[in-house]
Amino acid sequence: MPDVIVAVFNETAWPVALALAWVAGELGHRWLALPRISSYGVVGFLLGATQGGFLPVAGSGPVTALADIAFGLILFELGYRINLRWVRANPWLGVTSIVESAGCFAAVFFITRWYALPMVPALLLSALAMSTSPAAVLRVANELHSSGQVTDRSLHLSAFNCVLAVVAFKIVMGYWVLSGAGGLFQALWSSLVVLLVSAGLGALFGVAVPALLRALGGMDRSATVAFAITVVALTALTHALKFSPLLATLAFGLVARHRRVVLSQAQRNFGALGDLLTVLLFVFVAATLDWTKLASGIWLALAVIAARAAVKVAVTTLFARLGGITWRKGALTGLALTPLSVFAILLLEQSRRLGLDLNLLNEVSATVAIVLLLEVLGPVVTQRALIWAGEATQDARG
Amino acid sequence: MALEPFKASESLSMGVELELQLVNPTDLDLSASAMDMLHLLGRSRFPGEVKPEITESMIEIATGVHTRHDALLAQLRQMRDVLAAAGDRLNVAVCGGGTHPFQRWFHQRIYSQQRFEELSALYGYLAKQFTVFGQHVHIGCGSPDEGLFLLHSLNRYLPHFIALSASSPYLQGVDTLFDSARLNSVFAFPLSGRAPFLLRWSEFEHGYFAKMEKTGVVKSMKDFYWDIRPKPEYGTIELRVCDTPLTVERAASLACYLQALCRMLLAREDAPPAEDDYLVYHYNRFQACRFGLDGAIVHPRTNHNLSLREDILATLRRLEPHAAALGSQAAIEDLYRVAAVEGNHASLLRRQYADEGGVQGVVDAALRQFRERSEA
Repeated sequence: MPDVIVAVFNETAWPVALALAWVAGELGHRWLALPRISSYGVVGFLLGATQGGFLPVAGSGPVTALADIAFGLILFELGYRINLRWVRANPWLGVTSIVESAGCFAAVFFITRWYALPMVPALLLSALAMSTSPAAVLRVANELHSSGQVTDRSLHLSAFNCVLAVVAFKIVMGYWVLSGAGGLFQALWSSLVVLLVSAGLGALFGVAVPALLRALGGMDRSATVAFAITVVALTALTHALKFSPLLATLAFGLVARHRRVVLSQAQRNFGALGDLLTVLLFVFVAATLDWTKLASGIWLALAVIAARAAVKVAVTTLFARLGGITWRKGALTGLALTPLSVFAILLLEQSRRLGLDLNLLNEVSATVAIVLLLEVLGPVVTQRALIWAGEATQDARG
Repeated sequence: MALEPFKASESLSMGVELELQLVNPTDLDLSASAMDMLHLLGRSRFPGEVKPEITESMIEIATGVHTRHDALLAQLRQMRDVLAAAGDRLNVAVCGGGTHPFQRWFHQRIYSQQRFEELSALYGYLAKQFTVFGQHVHIGCGSPDEGLFLLHSLNRYLPHFIALSASSPYLQGVDTLFDSARLNSVFAFPLSGRAPFLLRWSEFEHGYFAKMEKTGVVKSMKDFYWDIRPKPEYGTIELRVCDTPLTVERAASLACYLQALCRMLLAREDAPPAEDDYLVYHYNRFQACRFGLDGAIVHPRTNHNLSLREDILATLRRLEPHAAALGSQAAIEDLYRVAAVEGNHASLLRRQYADEGGVQGVVDAALRQFRERSEA
């Protein structure tokens, strides 16, 4: 091929992929009532380099940075929707969160060890399995304009179990560093310090930005842009300092919310900017997956997915009445917590860039299978749970 | 289904219904949580009655039958506290106010119940637009004719209730310049307005209701959205023009104002009602909705222009002996303060808007007002 055509091909690979994903998202939504993000994932996976698709292997280029920003915006919005006073008023919510996260960790650890996975990958996979992808839950909830207890609880539980998963993940990494090459200092550094400083940075911005907006006045319109810019800055800063952008943006949203600057309904998802970045995020994440791993890891993957779902549903159902909702809504909350992928992938990606290449994606093929299956199926399950709970304002085709 | 017989009840007994807003504490928009709230409230004994309303972000509470201000207020406070506590467990905030200042009506979900679904099918977008929040006050009547007499005698005082209760200046994100924008949503319904001028129950039953029923337009009294309507199964007349105030204390005061007014009317201290009283009725009602206490009304008998505020203050003074007899002086004093000094809740919300900048601040203030225990 002439050079110029190759150049054109390389330059346009991402825009073309985004266009295809968007079209697939709209058609899947219209014809099959699929959540749009599921279709984005399928397209991303099919176009990934290892599947023979035309998307280049993701490095640390601008696309990766954009994906991080996209996820940062979602985590900010999630943090923003978390009401800590609720946990104080209804402690059963906190209990549910801790029990379901710990239960998932234990169940998955048991299964992976039974499948004779080495200690560290088993621990890491168990930590990942605790989390629910907030990106999927939030996008699906917003797509359905859903509101009610299942929506609210799955968002809160997703935020909590992500924090717990990051903490567990970092602790495992600390343990790994300690047991391997690094000394005590590096172990502490890669776990505790990173956690605290990341959250602290986010909190700092969470106080500063609302204060600035208040000083400027007239924050009805400008707040969204200011928050978006801060998320971009915070993501870049935590990358540069090798801290956790996930925790930082989540903490930013959480603190900003409790400083009472209100994001209006129209600004949910960060409008069209958020929609665009979501396409990119879900394509990007799925494009990192390798189908050859899918086949080899499928059995372990299915076992982990089943155990994780069973634990989440069992625990949310168990505490449903104590928490003030029906058994049915409790069970549906657990179901809505199924998605996993985006959070897990980005956590792994970001750890990889810290130089701690654990290669969980390459060495443990089950991870790929889990992530891929849940990338497509997770949002569908969440969508169904919200519809069955009667909390969607429009039906899925709306 | 013929009109049910008017069940006589204790004269001047009263009951209050409040339609309340369910709000998401995160974005302060309405939250479609009625089903979840009703489930949780249904698990323990509620100190009163609690019911769904047409859309999922509304809930209605009703007191029992009372004759005294203190007992009514005590029950309202109890219900408020139970509601607030249930809301805390579900991350749902509860407040008063005639409208939610920035909700989008098309985001509202119709509560899944046959009657509401039928209404939605018949009225289309009007049903979702009807996500507005009113206070209804029932006054017990010893006989149906007493009920019709009170219903029509009250025509001249109706603007008082609109102005005193008004708490809906904002709608769909903007200041409507009305103190009660809520009532404009009610007027859109074909069977809203006033009851026909009939003072005998037998005429009302056979000369009006039976004919209307034959046209197929109505099936029961429920289909009339009148400002005041008879409620035969309770043996009451029901005043429906009040916005839900921001506090239950104000709701109790308004109910006792109506009770004292009815006592005065039953003592025949006013001239008997006449059809021509209604000539100025809609104009006066508009003045009260638009300008609140600053409205200027026309007296139906003298045709004099009156300041609504002055008219209310004069009426409150006239009611003092009746309030004393009923034990509701505190309520009358509360409303006197409102009319003379503080202004209604619409003006309170406008001050909040100016101070806190924006409609979200308005909701925040409404939430705080509802929870606070104010003196009355």
